[in-house]
Amino acid sequence: MNEPSDKRGIIVGLFILIGISILIAGILIIGNLHETFKQKMKVNVLFEDVNGLQVGNNVWFSGVKIGTVNNMEFYGKAQVKVTFKIETKVQPYIRKDAKVKISNDGLIGNKILVIYGGTPTAGEVQEDDTLSTGKTFSSEEMMNTLQDNNNNLKSITGDFKIISKKLINGEGTIGKLLKDSSVYSNIDNATKSLQQASAKAQQLIASLSTFSSGLNKKGTLANQLVTDTVVFNSMKSSVLQLQQIADTASVFISDLKHAGNNPKSSIGILLHDEESGAHLKATIKNLESSSQKLDEDLAAAQHSFLLRKYFKKKEKSETK
Amino acid sequence: MLGKFAVKKYLFSKGIDEYLTDVYNAYRFALQFFKEVFKPPFHFREVINQCYEIGLKSLPLITLTGFIVGVVFTKQSRPSLEDFGATSWLPSLMGIAIVKALGPLVTALICAGKVGSGMGAELGSMKVTEQIEAMEVSAINPFKYLAVTRIVAASIAIPLLSFYCSFIALLGSFVNVHNLEATSFVTFFHNGFATIKFLDVFTSVFKSIVFAFTIGIIACYKGFNATRGTRGVGNAANETVVLAMFMIFIEELVIVQVSNWIRYF
Repeated sequence: MNEPSDKRGIIVGLFILIGISILIAGILIIGNLHETFKQKMKVNVLFEDVNGLQVGNNVWFSGVKIGTVNNMEFYGKAQVKVTFKIETKVQPYIRKDAKVKISNDGLIGNKILVIYGGTPTAGEVQEDDTLSTGKTFSSEEMMNTLQDNNNNLKSITGDFKIISKKLINGEGTIGKLLKDSSVYSNIDNATKSLQQASAKAQQLIASLSTFSSGLNKKGTLANQLVTDTVVFNSMKSSVLQLQQIADTASVFISDLKHAGNNPKSSIGILLHDEESGAHLKATIKNLESSSQKLDEDLAAAQHSFLLRKYFKKKEKSETK
Repeated sequence: MLGKFAVKKYLFSKGIDEYLTDVYNAYRFALQFFKEVFKPPFHFREVINQCYEIGLKSLPLITLTGFIVGVVFTKQSRPSLEDFGATSWLPSLMGIAIVKALGPLVTALICAGKVGSGMGAELGSMKVTEQIEAMEVSAINPFKYLAVTRIVAASIAIPLLSFYCSFIALLGSFVNVHNLEATSFVTFFHNGFATIKFLDVFTSVFKSIVFAFTIGIIACYKGFNATRGTRGVGNAANETVVLAMFMIFIEELVIVQVSNWIRYF
């Protein structure tokens, strides 16, 4: 079986060995080929502190793994230039002004790069672009913040301790409120007054309600005043007319006053000239005596034979 | 002048030529198995006998090792989980580790040592004492009667042993977890199997069958090709164990890779 001259067996054995080796290697390598065949692009970011980030760590965008950290090197004075590869299919979604921060994959997981933000107006990220960094909160900073909060909480609870002690001792306004019975009786009285006021207010509201229901009752004057546009319009026009009359009267009185002040006008003469006043008085007296005499003459005329018949007929018709 | 016309004795070198010829012969041996396994006559009784030899007689060893593996692995895993206050995950971790990896692997390694070496030595001694040739003279196909039955029996018994080993290992893990966390039996097994999917169980069974077939075929091949008397018998047993274990680890690697493909597709 182990004859050295069995060349066919040796060659077939060699091919079987090579074939199995290739098969095993292929199976082991192909496991990662789906990553290899993906088209990727390089993007950079500069950090002051990478906080334990390593080559091979994942890159996330909107919670989806889109690439891995490819390289890290020192840059400038003490910065770290992190180069990461991301799938080109996500290129349209990542803008040039997007930010990158270092985060954790879970509470105790590996470090990851997180791409976030970006405005639609900024262009798509391009090969070898350098994105800006976002604010990263290290665990140390978080602990410091928590420590500050603890201190604040301590001082707040200390203050509360003092306040509660004063409350127990009946000091201060709230302490007196809790301890002093007279304050309670005052508040009680105030509450009673408020209750009475509330009852009155309720009555007032009831009256208003009745009044408003009266307003709403059709056919009443109030309802017509409120709802009938014709009545309203006529009232409006009446008010306007009154307004015009008042204006005219005002002008007339003003003119009259003006004329009264002028001693040369007729009214001014009547008001200010004594002689004219005396003449006017004498004229009125004459008119009075004239009208008296005319009255007597007319009474005499009634008894004349010319007019007596007319007045008798009139008397008869009135008695009927 | 003589060297110029001398016939080249080896294609590469003596060792390489022998190794490659061995590969070729193993390939032919495996091919012959697949030719013979579906051809009558079928020696069912011998298959059952071998199942008894391989399976039932290995039970005590598998029980002990499985239980110890379960306990030890749980003890080793606890400190890491304790750091995160996650000891309640122990049943799930043990379920995954034992069913997917430890059960089939430990069973295969123990069987490679116990069954493989026994089979190689038995067949090797039959070979060197010319019992196999005697069977040929008696019109019995020794390959079919000795090799095929053993390989088939191993392919049936070892996966069953693997299941048994997984259960015993989980039992060992439960004993440890119950002692320290007071976890009930039902809770432990419920959590242990909660994360195991059909693909995991299928991969585990498939892996066990492949391991068993590897042990059987290597043991039979080495036994059938034993030479140089009693020393050759020892060599056959030794080579069976070494080669079988080596192949088991290679197969484990490949099967895990393939199962992961299937899982993520």
